[in-house]
Amino acid sequence: MTDQNIFMTISAFLRSLLGPLLGNDLTDMTMYGVGLLGVIIFIFTNAVVLVLMERKVAAFMQSRLGPNRVGPWGLLQTVADTLKLLVKEDYKPREVDTWVWALGPALLFIPAIGAYAVIPFDYQAVPVDLNIGIFYFIALSSLSTLPFLMAGWGSNNKYSLIGGMRSVAQMISYEVPLIFSLIGVIMLVGSMQMSSIVEAQHRIWFVFLQPVAFLIYVIAATAETNRTPFDLVECEGEIIAGPFTEYSGMRWAMFFLAEYANLVAVSAIATTLFLGGWQPLPLPGALGDLMAFIPGWAWFAAKTYFMIFIFMWFRWTFPRFRVDQLMAFGWKVLIPLSLANILVTGVGIYLYRMAIGG
Amino acid sequence: MQGKGLLTGMWVTLKEFFRKKVTEEYPDVMPDLGDRFRGGTLKLKPSKCISCGICMNACPNGSIKLTSVKDENNKRKLTTYVHDAGLCLFCNLCIDACPVKCIEWTGEFAFSGYTREDLIFDCIDLARKRGYDPVEVKEPPADGEKG
Repeated sequence: MTDQNIFMTISAFLRSLLGPLLGNDLTDMTMYGVGLLGVIIFIFTNAVVLVLMERKVAAFMQSRLGPNRVGPWGLLQTVADTLKLLVKEDYKPREVDTWVWALGPALLFIPAIGAYAVIPFDYQAVPVDLNIGIFYFIALSSLSTLPFLMAGWGSNNKYSLIGGMRSVAQMISYEVPLIFSLIGVIMLVGSMQMSSIVEAQHRIWFVFLQPVAFLIYVIAATAETNRTPFDLVECEGEIIAGPFTEYSGMRWAMFFLAEYANLVAVSAIATTLFLGGWQPLPLPGALGDLMAFIPGWAWFAAKTYFMIFIFMWFRWTFPRFRVDQLMAFGWKVLIPLSLANILVTGVGIYLYRMAIGG
Repeated sequence: MQGKGLLTGMWVTLKEFFRKKVTEEYPDVMPDLGDRFRGGTLKLKPSKCISCGICMNACPNGSIKLTSVKDENNKRKLTTYVHDAGLCLFCNLCIDACPVKCIEWTGEFAFSGYTREDLIFDCIDLARKRGYDPVEVKEPPADGEKG
């Protein structure tokens, strides 16, 4: 385990720079501001990269090349897209409920950013290392239901409203198995603090101890981020873009920015809880030392992007669920399965303690 | 087993992810159309043409118009050869009919114009642009056939 990493070096440098100027309290506040700025930059950069990645992965899985006209390999495609969205007319339909309509996309972005507060990017590099880290994440992620309903309601359009209702139904149904799947890990660690969960995976990643929970988490997270095969909320062609029918330009882009921020967040949480976070691959001997040589943030990024690739892989492989299948799968399969997983984990921990004690 | 189909599907898309793509980068890379592609205008070799007019007669749409004059040896000499690609249905009958195999397809398929006249091509002129000069190249074989 390294004691120094890039984040700690930067933070120590900034502190030494600001300390004499501002005093302790102001420096602490500035450091929080720097952390927030870093997270926002991280989200925006990721969104730009992910839009391109999604289009490339989609194209490759469909035997196409994807964007390749703007810049080398189409690398500047998202930049061009963003510029286009920025200069597009911000059209407001006449009969919308102005405040509810306008606040929808803005509020959607708050839980998406907030979730990053507890993500451990590296050893001791957590913006806020809450001792109820996972609980905080769960609480925030269920918050994104309301902005969707606001967008659907405020648009004054029955299709948007139905889309918003669909979104609420789906998110509530899949929030429960999502949380239950995390409980198995919390039981094993005995803590909800992100850093201690990562450190508990020093020897073995929880994906091997909790495979069922990992599977349930991945499925429920796909539904939570409104991605195929659970994208009943949007799909522009078939059900008229759901709650964001009446948005254009940057307001519309906010929905997708939040979607990609959420995608990174759930992937990062999966990395933290099941794939060992910033811990290197636990290999024995010299190979393990070689793995430990790679910095923690690189491990974290690699694992997160691996999870993102899996989510994209799902999206471009599976056909969409029908709404009754969606509900039946959530309530009749995932919730009992996640409850059974909690039971089995509990019995397993009990038996393990008996074996250790006796 | 439940979910086996999902894994099969994921395996299919993963294989596709690494496989060679079928996209043709058309304006940058011209597609390989194969030998039997019929399209474009007629690539005429005026030096080989004997001005027999069989191609003109074979054309069901009358899209080929050629005129010739008889020279001092009573041999036909090509004066004009016009292919109206706007009337052409690319049936290949002219090329099949040609006794000396002096016409073939250019294989060019993206010609278009704002008027119908843009689709009428003077094949002798095109041959000259490709580097075939009908007057200069014509002389030696004409002598050879004679002797």
